Formats: sequence, C-alpha cells, structure tokens
Amino acid sequence: MIAAVQIGRADWYEASARDRIAGLLDAGSFVEFLGPEQRIMSPHLAQFDLTGAFDDGIAVGRGTLDGQAVLVAAQEGRFLGGAFGEVHGAKLLGLLRGARERPPRAVLLLLDTGGVRLQEANAGELAISEVIHAILNLRRSGVPVIALIGGRAGAFGGGGIITACCSRIVVAEHARISVSGPEVIETNKGVEEFDSRDRALVWRVCGARSRYLLGGADGYVTGSIAAMRKAAAAMIADVPSFGMTMLQAEQQRLTDRLHRFGACRDAPEIWRAAGLPEPDRVGDIDDEAFLTMPRIAGADHDAR
Amino acid sequence: MRSGKFCVGSEKPDRRSRYRSTRDDTQSGAREEGGTNRDPAPFSGPSLIMNGWNRQKQDRDARLGAAATSASRKIVAADQAKALLEAVIRPGDRVCLEGDNQKQADFLAECLAAVDPQRIHDLHIVQSGLVLQAHIDLFEKGIARKLDFSYSGPQGAAIARALTGGRIELGAIHTYIELFARYFVDLTPHVALIAAVEADHAGNLYTGPNTEDTPTIVEATAFKSGIVIAQVNRIVDTLPRVDIPGDRVDFVIQVDRPFYVEPLFTRDPAAITETQILMAMMAIKGIYAEYGVTRLNHGIGFPTAAIELLLPTYGETLGLKGRIATHWALNPHPTLIPAIESGWVQQVHCFGSEVGMDNYMSARPDVFFTGHDGTLRSNRLLCQTAGLYACDMFIGSTLQVDLMGNSSTVTTGRIAGFGGAPNMGSDARGRRHPSPAWLKAGREAVDEPTTLTRGRKLVVQILETFGDKMTPNFVETLDAVAMAKDLHFELAPVMIYGDDVTHIVTEEGIANLLLCRGPGEREQAIRGVAGYTEVGRGRDPVAAEDLRRRGIIRRPEDLGIDLLAVSRQLLAARSIEDLARWSGGLYRPPSRFRNW
Repeated sequence: MIAAVQIGRADWYEASARDRIAGLLDAGSFVEFLGPEQRIMSPHLAQFDLTGAFDDGIAVGRGTLDGQAVLVAAQEGRFLGGAFGEVHGAKLLGLLRGARERPPRAVLLLLDTGGVRLQEANAGELAISEVIHAILNLRRSGVPVIALIGGRAGAFGGGGIITACCSRIVVAEHARISVSGPEVIETNKGVEEFDSRDRALVWRVCGARSRYLLGGADGYVTGSIAAMRKAAAAMIADVPSFGMTMLQAEQQRLTDRLHRFGACRDAPEIWRAAGLPEPDRVGDIDDEAFLTMPRIAGADHDAR
Repeated sequence: MRSGKFCVGSEKPDRRSRYRSTRDDTQSGAREEGGTNRDPAPFSGPSLIMNGWNRQKQDRDARLGAAATSASRKIVAADQAKALLEAVIRPGDRVCLEGDNQKQADFLAECLAAVDPQRIHDLHIVQSGLVLQAHIDLFEKGIARKLDFSYSGPQGAAIARALTGGRIELGAIHTYIELFARYFVDLTPHVALIAAVEADHAGNLYTGPNTEDTPTIVEATAFKSGIVIAQVNRIVDTLPRVDIPGDRVDFVIQVDRPFYVEPLFTRDPAAITETQILMAMMAIKGIYAEYGVTRLNHGIGFPTAAIELLLPTYGETLGLKGRIATHWALNPHPTLIPAIESGWVQQVHCFGSEVGMDNYMSARPDVFFTGHDGTLRSNRLLCQTAGLYACDMFIGSTLQVDLMGNSSTVTTGRIAGFGGAPNMGSDARGRRHPSPAWLKAGREAVDEPTTLTRGRKLVVQILETFGDKMTPNFVETLDAVAMAKDLHFELAPVMIYGDDVTHIVTEEGIANLLLCRGPGEREQAIRGVAGYTEVGRGRDPVAAEDLRRRGIIRRPEDLGIDLLAVSRQLLAARSIEDLARWSGGLYRPPSRFRNW
C-alpha cells in the first residue's frame, strides 16, 4: 500500500514555475531573462488594488535539455491564475521572437494559465494573438515548440489556443486544456449544460486523459517533473514538419473526428463509440493501466 | 413574541401536560403555548390522578387515529407524506427534524416546509443542525417559531437575518451532547422525522454508516409517547442489520432519492498551505510528543488535516509512531487514511460517516466500529461522550480568539453554531481516570502538584494570525459579544471558553496557557503568538521574551523546526487522488473533490 504513493516525489502539479524549470532542464543550466530582481512589473494591477509580482507571473530564459540548447517559458499558475497581462505577454513574445533570430533546438512552453487577466484584457488578448503568430512562424522555420501542461490552472482561454498551436503537447494527469472554462460555460449556458462543480465531468471533458485519448495531446506522463523532462526530450526529437499539406491533413482529421463523435454528450460515449475497452473506467484506473490503453484511431497523428 | 432568551436557565419550566388534551382544537393549543398555565394544582385529589396519568398515550392514539385517514398502515406513500405530517403534528409541538452537520432527513424537511401554516404553526424545532433551505423556510413561513439547535454552517447568515427580523425565537445554541441531554429532560420531541437507508415491512431500520443522531432522537421520542416517522431510501424484505427496532417507528416513507449527506469532513490536501504545515509540525513536536497524547479528537480544519498527513512522514522521523495519536474519537477523515495504512492508528470511533469512505471502513474493521453486516456503525451521542471523557486532547481551528483565549465561530452577520466543539474542547470535570497526558497537563496548571491535583484535558486552538481577506483572527473583543448585545442574548455564544483552552498554536509559535500565572501573563502569552495583528503588535516585548525564556511561548526555532524545511513535500498525500491511492482504491471521493 505504502508504495502506491511516493512521499516526497517532485510533482509537476505541486511545483512553482521556477521549480519546474529547474527540474526540467539540465542542472544549473537555466539563465533567466528579465528575472524578478529587475522588477519588470505590471503597470496596471495597482489601480485595481492587486499586488503585483516582480516577474509578472512568468519566468523566461535559456538553458539546456540533455545538452541541447532550449528556450523556456514557465507561467506561475499561483499568481493571478497564470493569466496573461501586458508585461507577462511581452516576456513570452520577446522570447519567441528572439528564438527566430538565434534559433535554439526547441522552445518549451510550461503553460499554467486561466487565460487573459480581466484587469488588462486588451493587452493580454493582443499578446495571445501575437504569441500564436510567433509560434507558427517558429514552427515554419523548423524550431519545435513543445507545450508541457500539468499545473493547477490548466491551459484555458487563449492559453488553450496557444497550446493547440504547438508542435507537440505533453500532459500530466491533472492537466486540463480548453478554451472556455467550466465556470464560464455554466454561467453563460446554465448548470444543465455544464455543472462546473461536478469535477469528474470537468476532467472527463477537458482533462489530460480525454485530451490524450482523443489526440488533443501527444504525450501523457505521470505527474513527476522527471517524467515531464523525459517526455519533453523525446518530443523534441519527434516533431512533424509544418506546412500547407500538414495543415490540410489536420483539418481533415478534425473534420472526420467531429463527424464521428460530434453528437456525443460526454467522454465515455466517445470511448464507447470508438470501441475502447471499459469506457466508464478511464478516469478511475491508475496511470500505469491508463498508459496501456489504446487511443482512438487517428489520435496518433502527425498533423499538429 | 420576540425573546432575548438564550441560556438554559431562562427557560420557563413547562408544567402543562406534555400533550394538550385531545379535545383541544389547534387554535387553543397555540394560545396555550405562550399563555397562562392552566394545569390544576399538583394535589387536587385521586380522581384527577386516575384520569391524568396517561394523557400522553391518549394524545398519541388520537394523533395516530387522525393519521389513519392518510395512512392505513406503517408504510406510507411518498405523495401522502405531507398529509401525514398535517395529521400527526399539532401547533406548538416540539419537532425534531433529523439533520446535523452530515446527514439530513431532507425529504421530510421539504414536506414539513410545505404544510399549511394555517393548520401547523408555532412549532418548536429541536434539532442538531439547521442547514437546509427548507429548515429556514419553516421559520420564514411561520410553521415554526422557536428554535433550539447546535449547528448551522451554511445557513449561519440566514439564521442571523431571521433572528434580527424576529422570525426565530431562539432558545439556545447548544453543543450536540447538551441538546441530546435536553431531549430527555425539557426538550423531548413530540414528533421526530428521521432518515435511514433501508426499512423492512415491520418498520425496522438500517441507518447504514450514517447512524449519527438517529438512536438518540428515537429513544427520546418513542419512549415518551411521541411519534416517529422515517424517510428511507429503500424498503426491503431483509435488513443487513437492525439499527432501530421497528416497534419504535410509527411510519416509514420510501423516497426515490437517497437522503442527503454532506461530505463535511473531507479536506483536500491540495489546499493545505505551508503555513498550516508549519503549525502542524509545531503541534506534533511541541504538544503531541511533549505530552504523549494517544487519545484525541481533531476538528475539521486544514491545520489538523495537515497534522494527519504529517504523522507518517514528519511524525515517523521523530520516532513517534505508536507513542502518539493511536486512539481516536473522530469522523472518518479521508486525510487519516495514510496514517491508518502506515499502522499509526489503532482505533477510531465515529460520530458519523463520510461520503466515499464506506468501503474503506468496511475493509478496516480492526480500526473502525462495524456491524456484523460489515458496515460502519456511527453514533454521535456516544462518540461525543467518548470525546468528553476518554480523550486527552482536542485540537481544532476557530475564527476568533480574544485576549483571554475565549474563541468563537460567530462573526458579524453569521451564527454558524458550535457542533461538537464546546464539548470536545472542554475539560471534563467529572473525569476520574488518570493518563500521562492528562496528569502532566494538570500538574502544569498549578505551582505545587500534590496527589490530589487533578488532571486537565489538553484543549488546543490552532489558527493563523490572519484569516480570510486578511481579517485578524486575534481580537480584543469577540464579535459574539456585540451580537449578543444586539440580539439581547443573555449569554454570548462562545465556542470554547478561555479557561478551558490550554494551548494556542499559530504560525508564530505555541502559547502554553497552562503555565501562565494570572490574567496578565495569559494576555501576554496570547499577544506573543498573535503575529502582526493589532493584538500581536500590542504585546510587551520584554514580557513576551520572558515568557519565551520560561517555555510558555515557544517559537519554531525553540522547537528545532527549520522554517526552510517546511514544505508540502512532507505531506503523505498531496491530493485527493493520493488519498484514493493510499486506500488501494477503496476510498471513492465525491466528484466535487476530483481533479482527474
């Protein structure tokens, strides 16, 4: 029994943004740009009586992963839900633009975000669209952009769209990826449409396992930082090319998927329709058993 | 009639017949409730005695007769429930609508809230918990007027509003065991509306793991000619076990949804902060280990959940396994699973059950009290008694502490009630058996211990110096005092009196109030751990340092706790999912606690 829970294991979910970077990259290799000591803070939060953060909730910099040069950005989900503001977005955008000028082996995005900060929404939305643009440019120039998702805030709103634009996506069990958050859906469409307090439902719809089985993520790891590091390294070596052929193939895959499963009301219906074993137990089995499960046909694609 | 009555002593002795004569119509009954006493003098001759000794039985028969039109036998259809209540309940009755901080006879509550207030009104509600909207509706609609209760939790604000608006006439806020006691003295219910999992056709009840208050309520009602009505989830031919014998149950109603149970004792380890972990480490090292506390009760806050999760990790490194925290009066906290699985816990008796824990407890009968059917048997009265007399320590959180150590969960605009805390958190003056922890605490409280020095229960309040929205948890005067004045209570609702509190633990340190001599030292000891609150900043630094030298105030460094070593990595489980894993899949958390 005791072996079932590893006491003291370094969890991705538990770790701060900087702890994640420290565990992900080669030891001691991380050099932060615009670190907290420079106090580049949000100019907007004070007028809303909100305490700012010296790094505006994101750490960006360079380092190595298995000796390969990488650029890395990590959002701090515990500061304002990792949400995008003006400085926060500019730091990420600057990192991505810098990557075009001096291309690294890969860019790693450790997203942990509820989307855009309401207090600086225009700047946040703008940053997200520019980040998407920069990611697609990088991919076209042959630099892999890998999203690593598994924090408390998940990847919601613009963060969900950014995730979907990456070359590869790795998720850990507690990860959620979506655009409209559960509370937003409930507020707008009613509790009958989506009960945000039914957390099993939330994870069935936007949680890591569902995303992975459906092809919304390419790698699924148990929650340790070490597992995330291993998966990130493997993904860098295995990214699809990026061009019109690939985009059309992805469009076709998503069209087919919508056609097959568009009428399903909940994830187990999809698993049942796809012929997966024990569709109702997907959320209950342990990680080891889950990783032996087949994904739905077409999930293991190269189109992203 | 607005009443400022609050304390037990202010209750007028009820000398009239417990049930009004069957000839009384409902209107006269209602008048009688607040009117003059019309009972004859006690020595008025043999003829009256012959006629007067079984009036309660006659009244009961009349009520059952009235019910015959809506219920021909014990089993009553759900759609007849309201008619049944209107037939057997009379205006002014004392009614116990079973509901505490966990299980709820929610269907019967909704039926009672739907009766015709012209027919049934001015009820006196005597029940553990006022937590459902339907409970509040009873008072808003005038169906009920008077209230004696113990816990309100989510309805704390609604009760405060109804009190201010004069719609509730409050008897008193009790601790559970105190209210149960009054069921047998001056608050005996005329009608009890209870909840069980299953009934058979003879009315025998299986309450399942959530037995809780049911046996106590039924005992008081059925043996004093009252009427007992049960809502059940199912009617079956054979029960797994009989928790309530059928001859104490008058009517059984099968309801198509299970009675509600609140998972009140589930604390998500993911929400435990490092500040709470620091306080938990101080408590383990500075109190549990120091006194060798083996028999105890925990409150439901996050700091105590942290303690439970630190036993198999931090506690293990201190070599405390088997020396502390072996015997518990405790609800089945999911956060206790790692300690149980690691062999720390020998025995747990429960007030109630906890949603999702049933299979786990059935699989651990060496630890929990289970029936021959294999499921948990809980009992709030007995477990509260165990907490009072057989535990050496209570440790729990609170919302406000004053300069003398009085604490309250009543804050402006909210009356959350007490539940079991005043009982658990008080010294049992009737206790006569010794234990090392009890004797050590007793010796610390006096200068020259003798063989006649009695022991003391350890009553520990654990709280951060600031609460939600940075409101200070340490105050000069409790909000409860102002509220009592506003509402004309004779007694301010204090949860735990300062003279019962032995230790206060905050992130700044532990204050040992046993060692304080006089109110001046006590105040400085409390100020000395109150951090940057007004109360904390008002300390006399010289006095505080002197108290620290004498070991009355102990800081983390005095206990050898390195602040940099305080980490969530120390928790044996850091998520609800970890708890489910520890249990080998036996613990099935409710959906609202999942994050996978």
